[in-house]
Amino acid sequence: MCSFFRAFWCRAAVPLLVTVLPVFAKDYLPLTLEQQALLPDPVAYTVDFVRDIQPIFEESCTQCHAHGKSKGVFSLETRDDFIYGGDNGTAAEVGRSAESLVVAMISGLKPDIIMPEKGKELTREQVAIVRAWIDQGMVWPDEINFFEIERSNLHPVELEDIAVPDDFANPIDGFVNDTFATQSYTWATPVDDRTFARRVWLDTIGLLPPPEALADFLADDAADKRVRLVQELLGNQQAYAEHWLTFWNDLLRNDYQGVGYIDGGRKPITDWLYSALANNMPYDEFVAELVDPGMAAEGFTKGISWRGAVNASMLPPMQAAQGVAHVFLGVNLKCASCHDSFIDDYTLADSYGLASVYAEGPLEIAECDEPTGDMSRVKFLYEEIGGLDTTANREMRRRQLAEIITGRKNGRLPRTIVNRFWHRFFGRGLVEPIDEMDRPAWSPELMDWLAEDLVAHDFDLKHTLEKILTSRAYQLPVSLTGEAEDYVFRGPEVRRLSAEQFSDAIRSVAALPYPRNTSKVNRHAALTGGLAEELPLRPKWIWTTADAAQGAKPENVTFKRVFNFQKAVDEAIVTIAADNGFTLSVNDKRVASVSKRSNTGVFVKDVGKHLQMGQNEFTIVGTNFYPDGTPIRLRPGQTELPPTPPETYNSAGMLLYARIRAADQVHDMVSDQNWTVQQAKAEPRAAVEMGGVDLAPWRIGEHFLELAAAPVDRLPVERASLVAADPLMVAMGRPNREQTVTVRQEEATTLQALELTNGETLARLLKDASDQILEDSNVTGDRLVRRLYQYTLSRPPGKTELVLANQLLGSPADSAGVQDLLWALTALPEFQLIY
Amino acid sequence: MNLHRFFAEQAFQKAQPQLDSRRDFLKKASTATLAALAAGAPRSWAADAAMREIAPTADRVIVLWMAGGMAHTETFDPKRYTPYRDGLSSNEVLSTFPSIPTAVDGVHFSEGLENLASVMDRGTLIRGMQASDLGFILHSRHQFNWHTGYVPPQTVAAPHIGAWIARTRGAADPAMPAFINIGQRFNLGEGEELKAFTTAGFLGSEHGPFNVAFPEDAADAVRPPEGMSAGRFTNREKLYRQLLAESPIGEGGSDYQKESLLRAMDNAHRLLNSPSAKAFDLSLEPEANTRKYYPAFKPGTRFEAPRDRMGGKYEEGMIGRFGLGCLLARRLCESGARFIEVTTEYIPFFNWDTHENGHSRLVGMKRMIDAPIAQLVRDLEERGLLDRTLVVVASEFSRDMMVEGKPDNRITNQVEVPDVINDPKFYGMHRHFTAAGSVLLFGGGVKKGYVHGVTADERPCKTIKDPVKITDLHASIYRAMGIPPDHGYDIERRPFYVTPDGHGKSVDALFRG
Repeated sequence: MCSFFRAFWCRAAVPLLVTVLPVFAKDYLPLTLEQQALLPDPVAYTVDFVRDIQPIFEESCTQCHAHGKSKGVFSLETRDDFIYGGDNGTAAEVGRSAESLVVAMISGLKPDIIMPEKGKELTREQVAIVRAWIDQGMVWPDEINFFEIERSNLHPVELEDIAVPDDFANPIDGFVNDTFATQSYTWATPVDDRTFARRVWLDTIGLLPPPEALADFLADDAADKRVRLVQELLGNQQAYAEHWLTFWNDLLRNDYQGVGYIDGGRKPITDWLYSALANNMPYDEFVAELVDPGMAAEGFTKGISWRGAVNASMLPPMQAAQGVAHVFLGVNLKCASCHDSFIDDYTLADSYGLASVYAEGPLEIAECDEPTGDMSRVKFLYEEIGGLDTTANREMRRRQLAEIITGRKNGRLPRTIVNRFWHRFFGRGLVEPIDEMDRPAWSPELMDWLAEDLVAHDFDLKHTLEKILTSRAYQLPVSLTGEAEDYVFRGPEVRRLSAEQFSDAIRSVAALPYPRNTSKVNRHAALTGGLAEELPLRPKWIWTTADAAQGAKPENVTFKRVFNFQKAVDEAIVTIAADNGFTLSVNDKRVASVSKRSNTGVFVKDVGKHLQMGQNEFTIVGTNFYPDGTPIRLRPGQTELPPTPPETYNSAGMLLYARIRAADQVHDMVSDQNWTVQQAKAEPRAAVEMGGVDLAPWRIGEHFLELAAAPVDRLPVERASLVAADPLMVAMGRPNREQTVTVRQEEATTLQALELTNGETLARLLKDASDQILEDSNVTGDRLVRRLYQYTLSRPPGKTELVLANQLLGSPADSAGVQDLLWALTALPEFQLIY
Repeated sequence: MNLHRFFAEQAFQKAQPQLDSRRDFLKKASTATLAALAAGAPRSWAADAAMREIAPTADRVIVLWMAGGMAHTETFDPKRYTPYRDGLSSNEVLSTFPSIPTAVDGVHFSEGLENLASVMDRGTLIRGMQASDLGFILHSRHQFNWHTGYVPPQTVAAPHIGAWIARTRGAADPAMPAFINIGQRFNLGEGEELKAFTTAGFLGSEHGPFNVAFPEDAADAVRPPEGMSAGRFTNREKLYRQLLAESPIGEGGSDYQKESLLRAMDNAHRLLNSPSAKAFDLSLEPEANTRKYYPAFKPGTRFEAPRDRMGGKYEEGMIGRFGLGCLLARRLCESGARFIEVTTEYIPFFNWDTHENGHSRLVGMKRMIDAPIAQLVRDLEERGLLDRTLVVVASEFSRDMMVEGKPDNRITNQVEVPDVINDPKFYGMHRHFTAAGSVLLFGGGVKKGYVHGVTADERPCKTIKDPVKITDLHASIYRAMGIPPDHGYDIERRPFYVTPDGHGKSVDALFRG
C-alpha cells in the first residue's frame, strides 16, 4: 500500500526525490508583483497543521531541513526554526504568504530557484494550502517537531552494567519500584490466590484452572506456591505448546486453511513450530531457523502468493523482509516497501536491501510499483550491527542474516520478544506500540534487564516467562491507566479471553474434545522426541546425480524397490519428503500423490492394506518442477515439454522411511542406493545417495525421523489452536492470518455478540457440552451449579446466584437448562475478561 | 532522562498527534465506533475535511453480484447473433442469443432479459467497465479487486466496499447491521479467497459483513437458536441480567472492556427483539409478492441442487435463490440497511463461471436474475425508495470466446476452445475478457435510460469509448453515498483510502445534474 505516497507525493514530485534546498542566494528576492498575481489563491478552509501541512513537509522538506540536517542553514524542526529561516532571512511572516521566501521557492515561479530542487514542483493545491497556513497564522502545535530520531532498543548492554535495585527478589520489581518511586506511588496489594491462579493459568497454558487443581493451590500454605504453580504450568510441555501456538501462528502467518493454499502459494510450518514450542527451542535458534530455514520452517519467509502479477512491494522477498523486520525486530517496513517512509526513517533501499537476502538475484527497485531502473544492494537494516556480504549466494546471505539477527551485537531481538511477552501479560508493552521498537520503553532499565537476562539464560523463553509471571508487578491488581493520556504503569490491564481461550474453556468444562486435528500436526512425534534415535536405519536423500541438491534438471524420475514379506502385513507407514512432489504406487496401485507447487512438506501414510505376502514393488515418481513452479506435464496445446537449459536446474531430492509391521516384526526400509532410478528414455540404474537428513537446502533433520518413529498422533484434540477457525472463533477475533497480527482486536462488537447470542456454532457447542456434562455425571441442582461456577468463574456461586442459576437449570436439570446456564455464565464479563 | 532520549520521545510524539487517548475517544465515540478502540485501530483521515464534503444522492447501496464473469455480449451488450451448428467456427461467434429491444430506443439486451429490458428506462448502463490487469485470471482475486478496490496481497487487510460504507455512513437504523451479505457460502471452492475480501478488514469486525448464505433461512440469523422457544430465550436473557448484577465485577465498577462487552450484548438483543429483525423473515412477505421474485415459489423451498459441472443443470436448480435474495434486500432496505450485496454465488465452474456449456448455462442464469432484479427496481420505485437507493449489477469481468485478458494484453489461456465447434458444450463465451464489461445501475441519483460507453461490434468486442475503471466505478458509488474518493482511515499510522491512493474519480456523466 502506498496510498500516502501517491496521494501527496507522486503528484508533487518525481520518485526518489531528495529534496535539497540550495543555499538562499544573497541576491534572492521574493516574488515580483506580477509573479505574485500568478500564485494560486490560498485555500478557503481552515488549514490544520497535522492534516494538511505536516505531510507536505515530511514528503518534500524534512529530509534535508530537519532531523539534524539544515541545508542552506535552513531548518524546520520547530516553528521557530522555520520562521527564523535560512541564509536570506525569515521564511515567512504571518499574513504575508505572497511575499514570503518559502512560497516564492515552492511556487515554481522563480525558474532559478525551485523547491524541492531536484524534483517536480509542488501542486498548485499544495501551494495554496501552504499559503493559507501562513496567512492563517502558521499554527504549529507545540508538541510537534522534526528533531533527530534516535533508535532505542537496538544495542545490547552488558548485564553486569545494569544497576539492579536492591531489596527485591525479582529484579523486575526493583525496576518497577524505581518507577513508582519517581511517581511517589506505592505498591498496591497483590491479587488474591484465586485471581492469580486464573490469570496465570490462562497466560501460561491458555486454560482455566480445573476446579480440583485450583482447590489444591488455594489450600497450599507454602510461601512459594505461586512460583511453583508458574513452574509447574510452564513445565506442561503439551499445554504450553498448544497455547503459544496461537501467539506464534498470528505472528508467523501460519494457518491450516486460508488464501494461497489452492495454488501452493503458501506453506504451513505447523510441525516445525509445534515441535519448537514443545521442546522450548532456544529463541536465538528458533529465529535462526525461521530466518534461514530448512524445508520445515520455510513457509514463513516464502510468504503468501496469489496467482498472477503482484505489486512490487509485495513480492515474496519483500514479504520476507517485512515479516522478518516486523516479527523479530519490531519495526514496520510496510511503508518503506513502496517508498521512503514518512513516519520513520526506513527507506526503500532498506527494505529492498533486506528483501535481496531472499531474492535469487538483485531486485529492481520499484517505487510505488513503478520500476526505477536502480538495482537493490543486499543490506541489513542496521549496518552498525552487521554487514552482509553482497557477493555471497542466497544460502550464504540467509545464513549471515540469521547470524546478525541472532548475534550478540543485536540488542533488538531479545527486546522485541520480551516486549511482546510484557504486552501479552499486561495489556500494554514496555514499548508501545509494540511494533515500533525504535521508541523508548517506559522503563529502559527494565527493558534492558529483561532482554539481557534472556540472553544470559541462553535465550530460554520459559525462563523469561517465569521471571515475569512470578514478579510482584504481574500480581498487581488490574489497572485502567492504559486508557489515560500519559501512560503510567500500575499493573496489568483488563484483558479479554482470546477466541481460542473462550472456545477451549467451554469445551474443558465438559471435557469435550474437538472433532478433528485440522493442523495435522503430529504432536506425538514432537512430544516424544528421542524415539528417532531408536530407528535402526538412516535414510538418504536420493536422486539421479550427487549434486542434485544444488540443482537438477526439471523432470520426472522413477524410483523403484522390491520388497518381500513372508507374513501378512499389518501396517506399513511410509514417511516421504520430496522436492518438489511425488506419486507413490504400491504394486502398480497409486496410493498417494503430493503434487502441489511448492510442496516440500513431510507426507506420512499407512499403505499396509496395499501390500501382500511375497513380492511387493514400491514405485515413486519424483518430480522436480521448473523453477517457476511449472509442473512436468504437457499443457493444452503443447506437444512437448519446455526446454531445460542449465538455468532451469533446481534442487531435487527424495527422502523416505518406511516401517512395515508384519506379525509383530518391524521391517525398516529407507531411501538409499538400493533403490533404482530411471529417467525418461533411459535404463534403470542405482539411485544416487546425496546425503542424510541434514543435507542442505532441506535440512529437515531429526524432525523427519521423529515423524517416522512416531507416525501416529492419537492424542485427543483439546485445543482450538489445532483446528481451523469456525464462525464463533472468527467472531471472537481470531484473525485470518494473511497479515502478521501482533495485537488482536479485543473490543466487543455487535456482530460478535450476535454470534454469542444466537450463533449456530456456539449453540451447537453448548448443546454438545451440556449433553456431555449430563452424561458424565449425575449431579444436578446446587451441586451442578457449583460445579459450573467453579469451572467457568473459578469460584463458588453466592446464595442469590445459586437460586437464580437453579431457575435457569430447571428441575431436574435437562440439557436445555445446562445450556442456558452455561451460556449465561460464559456471557458474563467476569468470564470473558481476565482480571 | 538524557537529552537524546527526550528528543527521541518528542520526535515520536509528533508522529501521532491525531491519537486521541482511548478515554477521550470513548467519550466521543458512537456505539458503532466503539469497536475501533483497539490499539492501532483505524482513525478517520479526511472525514472531517470540510473541503471534501459532497452531498449524497443515495442513502443505501444494493450490489447485485454476477459472480464468475458475466459475458457482456450475452447480456447487456449483445452483438451479432450466430446460432449453433456443427462445424461453426469459434471466431465467428460473438453472441449466442438474439437481441431484444428495451424500453429505451436503440438500446438492446440479449434474449432472456425481457424483464430487465422493460425497466432500462429507469437505469444507467455502463458498457465499458475495465477489469484490472492482474497478469493471470483468478476469479477470487479479481473479485477481491472489485470489492475492495485493491489488488491482493496487501500489507493490511483491505475492507470490502460494504464495510467502507458501513464505517463511514454508519447504520441507517441502529438495530440493523449496516453491511449485509446475502447468498455466498464460504466452504466451496476458493472459499478462503472469498473470505479474504468479504471482511471489514482493518476497519474492525463491527462493520460487517453480516452473512446470510441462504435468504430463505435469513430469519434464523436474527432469532433464537434452533430449538429454543421465544419464552426460553427471554428467560435466559432475564436471568443472565440478574446473574450479571450478582457477579462481583458485574454492573458495578467501570472499565472500557466491560462496557464494550455489555454494550455489544445490548445491541445484539436490540436487533433480535427489534421490528427490524422481521425484515429478515421472508415468510412474512405475502406469497403473491414473493412469486414476483420467484414464480415457482412454495413455502419451505430449499435450494440443494447437486453440482454437476457438465450438465449445466445446477443453475436451473438454483433459480429462485437469487430471487429471494433480491426480495430480502428490498425488505432490508425498507428497514434501514445501509449496504446489501446479493450474489448469484461464486462457485468455481458454476453459475456465471461458464467454462463450458456457456450457452445453455446462461439460459438458466438469465432466468435466475431477470425477473428478480426488474421486480426489485419496480418495488423500490413503488415504495419511493429507488431515488435514494443505488442498485449496482456487476461482475468481476466479462467473457469472450477467443480472448483471455485484453486483446492488447493477452494472458495465458485457461480454457480450451476449439477452432471449429462440433459439440454444443463449446458454444458460449468461455474465456475471461477484461477489456469490456457491463454494469447496470438504477436509482440513487443516476440517469434514467442512459448508456455510458461503447464497445466494438466485431471481435475483439472491447471498449472503444468511455472506459470506466473499477477505481472510478467505486468513486462513483462513493460519490452517490457522499463519500469522497480520498476519504480514508489511518492504520498503523498510515492512511488507507476508499479508492487506492485516493485517486478514484467519479464518473459524473452517470449522474443526473
